Amino acid sequence: MLASLWRLRHFIYPYRARWFAGIIAFGFARGFEVMVPILMAVSINRIAEGNFDVTLPVLGIVGAVSLRYLVVTYARYSVRKTGLNVAFDLRQRLYNDLQDQGAEFFSKYTIGDMMTRAVADISLIQRLISMGTILLVILVYATVAGYAAMLYYSPLLTACMLIPMPMVYWYALYSSRRMGIASREVQDRLSDMGAHVQENLSGIRTIQAMVQEENEIKRFSHTNQAYADAFYEQGRINSAMTAWMPSLADICVLFILGYGGYMVLQGQMPIGNFVAFITLVNMVVQPFRVAGFIVNLFQRAAVASDRLHEVMDLEPEISDAPSGSTPAQIQGDIVIRHLSYRYPGSDQTVIDDVSFEVAKGETVAIMGRVGMGKTTLLKQLVRLLDPAPGSIYVDGHDVRDYPLAQVRAQMALVPQDPFLFGEPLKDNLTYDDPNRALDAIWDAATSADLKNTIEEFPEQLNTLVGERGVTLSGGQKQRATLARGLIRHAPVLILDDCFSAVDTETEEHILSELKRLRQQQTTLLVSHRVSTARHADRIYVLEDGRILENGTHDELLAAKGYYAELERVQREGAEDEDFARARVGV
Amino acid sequence: MAETSDNTNKRDYSMFEADLSGQVLNMHLLGRLLTWLKPYKYQLIISSILVLIASTFQVLLPIIISLVAIDHIFRNESDADTPDFGLIELNTWLTDLSGLHPLIIACAMYAVARLVWAVTGHAHRMTLIGAVINGLRDMRMDLFRHLETRPSSFYDRVAVGRVMTRVTNDVEALYEMLRGIGGLVGEFVPFFVALTVMLAVDVQLTLILLMVLPLLAVVTLYFRRITRHLFRQVRQTLSALNQNMQENLAGLQVVQLSDRQDYNLKRYTDINESNRDFELRSARVETLYGAFNDSLAHIAIGVIIYYGAVEIMEMRMTMGEVVLFTQFIGMLFHPVVVLGEQTNILFRAMASGERIFQAIDWDEKIHEPKNPATLPERLRGEVKFQHVDFAYDKTIPVLKDVSFTIAPGEKLAIVGPTGSGKSTLIRLLGRFYDFVDGQIFLDGVDLNHIHSHDLRRRVGVVLQDFHIFSGSIYDNIALGNPQITRERAVEAAKTVNAHDFITSLADGYDSELTERGQNLSQGQRQLLAFARVLAADPEILVLDEATANIDTETELLIQDALRRLTEGRTSILIAHRLQTIQEADRVLVLHHGQVEELGTHEELLAAEGLYHTLHQLQFQDDDAPNP
Repeated sequence: MLASLWRLRHFIYPYRARWFAGIIAFGFARGFEVMVPILMAVSINRIAEGNFDVTLPVLGIVGAVSLRYLVVTYARYSVRKTGLNVAFDLRQRLYNDLQDQGAEFFSKYTIGDMMTRAVADISLIQRLISMGTILLVILVYATVAGYAAMLYYSPLLTACMLIPMPMVYWYALYSSRRMGIASREVQDRLSDMGAHVQENLSGIRTIQAMVQEENEIKRFSHTNQAYADAFYEQGRINSAMTAWMPSLADICVLFILGYGGYMVLQGQMPIGNFVAFITLVNMVVQPFRVAGFIVNLFQRAAVASDRLHEVMDLEPEISDAPSGSTPAQIQGDIVIRHLSYRYPGSDQTVIDDVSFEVAKGETVAIMGRVGMGKTTLLKQLVRLLDPAPGSIYVDGHDVRDYPLAQVRAQMALVPQDPFLFGEPLKDNLTYDDPNRALDAIWDAATSADLKNTIEEFPEQLNTLVGERGVTLSGGQKQRATLARGLIRHAPVLILDDCFSAVDTETEEHILSELKRLRQQQTTLLVSHRVSTARHADRIYVLEDGRILENGTHDELLAAKGYYAELERVQREGAEDEDFARARVGV
Repeated sequence: MAETSDNTNKRDYSMFEADLSGQVLNMHLLGRLLTWLKPYKYQLIISSILVLIASTFQVLLPIIISLVAIDHIFRNESDADTPDFGLIELNTWLTDLSGLHPLIIACAMYAVARLVWAVTGHAHRMTLIGAVINGLRDMRMDLFRHLETRPSSFYDRVAVGRVMTRVTNDVEALYEMLRGIGGLVGEFVPFFVALTVMLAVDVQLTLILLMVLPLLAVVTLYFRRITRHLFRQVRQTLSALNQNMQENLAGLQVVQLSDRQDYNLKRYTDINESNRDFELRSARVETLYGAFNDSLAHIAIGVIIYYGAVEIMEMRMTMGEVVLFTQFIGMLFHPVVVLGEQTNILFRAMASGERIFQAIDWDEKIHEPKNPATLPERLRGEVKFQHVDFAYDKTIPVLKDVSFTIAPGEKLAIVGPTGSGKSTLIRLLGRFYDFVDGQIFLDGVDLNHIHSHDLRRRVGVVLQDFHIFSGSIYDNIALGNPQITRERAVEAAKTVNAHDFITSLADGYDSELTERGQNLSQGQRQLLAFARVLAADPEILVLDEATANIDTETELLIQDALRRLTEGRTSILIAHRLQTIQEADRVLVLHHGQVEELGTHEELLAAEGLYHTLHQLQFQDDDAPNP
């Protein structure tokens, strides 16, 4: 556990001065606090002796209290500030690291998992630094200062305290740990209930169609009861602790009352000391209420630290190490030479010794069934996946020798999954460069056949998309994604099956427009539709990671292979997905 | 009937999105809350009696120390006017009775008082918590029951997440408040007992100490107000921070392709910084306030001693009484601090209560007939639409004058472009929405005269995205219907080709499914939905065909299953696959909410109308020669 926490030292290091100052200040604060019962004792003793002038000790109390206030405020703020700063830095670091991760990483970790680390784990570490350490420090100081003062008054009576104290400490530790377990149980049951309601209401139509309302209400009553039970249990432990912990501590008071009182009567102890003793016992016992909580916090923060370091220790998946000898402008000659690929940790070869060339200005289509390696191939071109050295050449240079940013800027990939950010359309289209001119945006939108759609929105380009704004249809999203790629006028355009939700007619229209605009430029496209592929200069069919056949549309038809069969099937409409989507009369 | 179906258009659904802040203390709302506690009122009364006992014994402890031990035993100078609850007399009496030292008797008294306080206090808290937890559990139940029976039109407009938090977070906020109010009782009873004793001892000193309370109250309230504002900003920036990260990770591929990492990090940094600033500001305020209360209490101790010294000298107070004052000071100040802590909780709870009642008061429902028609044991299955008009929103008609009849056992495919009203048509048939214009007849009985539950048992609906309930496969087929035995479920699964994949699972029909059915493929889920509807054996089948891409092999299984499912059963199929359409007896073409064409596949093709166009459209680009 300590090793895990020790790894956090680098994050605390920049703030160490303030942090230690805070911790030391807590010591002074505790010292001033102990002054209060001591000066109280002095005053009472004076009065008992018939000296009624208590001005000095009372001024002492006021002074000690004021100083304690200042010091403790400073200490608490300093330590909390350290925790907040560390959390800030951890967030920055994690965000930055995650941005460099790639497909391999996200096949291992989900986004939800990353969010838990970013939210819950960082918050645990923040709480450890700004709360856990305070509590621990207070506990240590209170024990030291409290016992020191008690020893000063009466070693023997202090020794008496040692009889019930271990019991008090044990009970405090025991209860507060059980309290921690119970609280987590409550949280779990609460999130169970949330999930139950969420899932249930999401399927409300089926539930009602199947007349399952009563069954579901009955089922919910179990989840609901489980939560209520967990809540009750937590309340019970808390209440029992509130009742018994001070009761056990009051065994000490019984000793003071009995034995201390005996000493008072024997004249061996002044009444003031007797009163101070009772106050000091409370001072020693109180902090232990949270002992179990502290242990719990340290344990959980240690796990959180490990989980964060697990992610932060990883190297970026794709290394950006430009050779420096590559041209600043990519022309668009692509050579693929014996390219093979298998995903890390998998023994299946997705791309198996594929070689082909795309000359500048050519349009090449890649076809094949789902899972045949088309997307994998395209991703390697722009190094979303890293190809083996010497397998992909762009204008005669290994693609790995180019700066990463240049490859991705000059070879524009439009991905299969049309992802839009919850921002205005304009910001989505100019995602790579927010300073693009309005004309360029409209041009790209026109090429992607999105202009009319945008003009239908009252706020046009400023329309917010996503959950908080307008929900676009699948086809609209794909066209927006396409516009985001087209706006870059990249020498190489790579379209990864980005027309699947666009109807055939529109796709046709977009492609012919592109053909006109990109005459001298290279285009690679993946599609399932023969109607798309037939416009390409050359068509490659991938099967099990290998090139099954290639040629022009007519050549492939004549070959009567896979492509010809696909053409026949699609013509006869067995794969009839467009049927329902076809727009009539618009 | 006309007025009830109108109300969907008048409702303001936006209130479910509104951010209620609960700035006012709403007594009406509190009163309504109490109705859920009513069944537990005896428990609450017992709890109140217990807290009185506990508080009294709590106050006895310092009295034993200061009046019995210090004044009576140590200094023997007891003031007869000071209310000591007869403890000194008890001590003397017990000493005489037992012959033990009065100190030992004092110890025994202390131990007993301590024990009684602990036990009654614990009992008070448990009865209180029990009543509150049960009351709120009932409230959640009522809320869930209410939500579970709201019609589709409600869920069309209101996000599930918004409703969900009402059941969870909002009810929890009420718990915090009710427990807080209960806790305040536990603070104020000792406050008044202690105050009475103090006033009896020394009015002037008590009044001096009381003067501090308004100061404490003002500072506390002021502090709460500042932090409430700051906390909100901390929460907002934090959620913006998380949202930014979540979205960035979701679109990371686009981020990397656009080389936006640096820019995005900068935006994230801005939010992170503003979050840290708000955090630091609230930390500053909180630490300034944090040590204020106990400091004030300690200063008060100084005042008591200073003032007490003079009073003791003048023989107006005893030493024990001064000590008693110092021990009571906590009881005097603490309630004000707790009260301050409760204000934020109270305001939050007000907002939560409002949200909960908003949902409970939402009375949107499907209109059920007063005297529902009794349907025969088995329907023939004739469905007749007669001049049906419908609109979700008055301005946009979805169905216009739809009339057609389906003969018993007929298979009707409905086709039409997206938004033509296909789904609406089947929703009306399942009575998920009220409609007023036109009529639908089931074997000649007006649909609006049939209770929706009865109707839905007769009309089996398979939606595109069907819901899988957590439970076993068998549970999911039978859906709690005792008439569906295991044999019948297996039989149904076999008929719709689901048996093979089910038995290939580790536990067969007992395999547990997670809700939303993540552990099944699209095709398997479709087959399972078929099995479910077949087991229920409805007279009429309504199917919204899934459009998801399914591999050819499973596709064949599904088509085959569909054939058996519809055999001899009146079926309405929203069809997306050509094969489904071709196998239907007739095809209904819906366009802009109107019946455009109705006839067999061949008839419609021959008519060269809309169906012909729809059918031809995807081939129009195809100039390749036919083999």
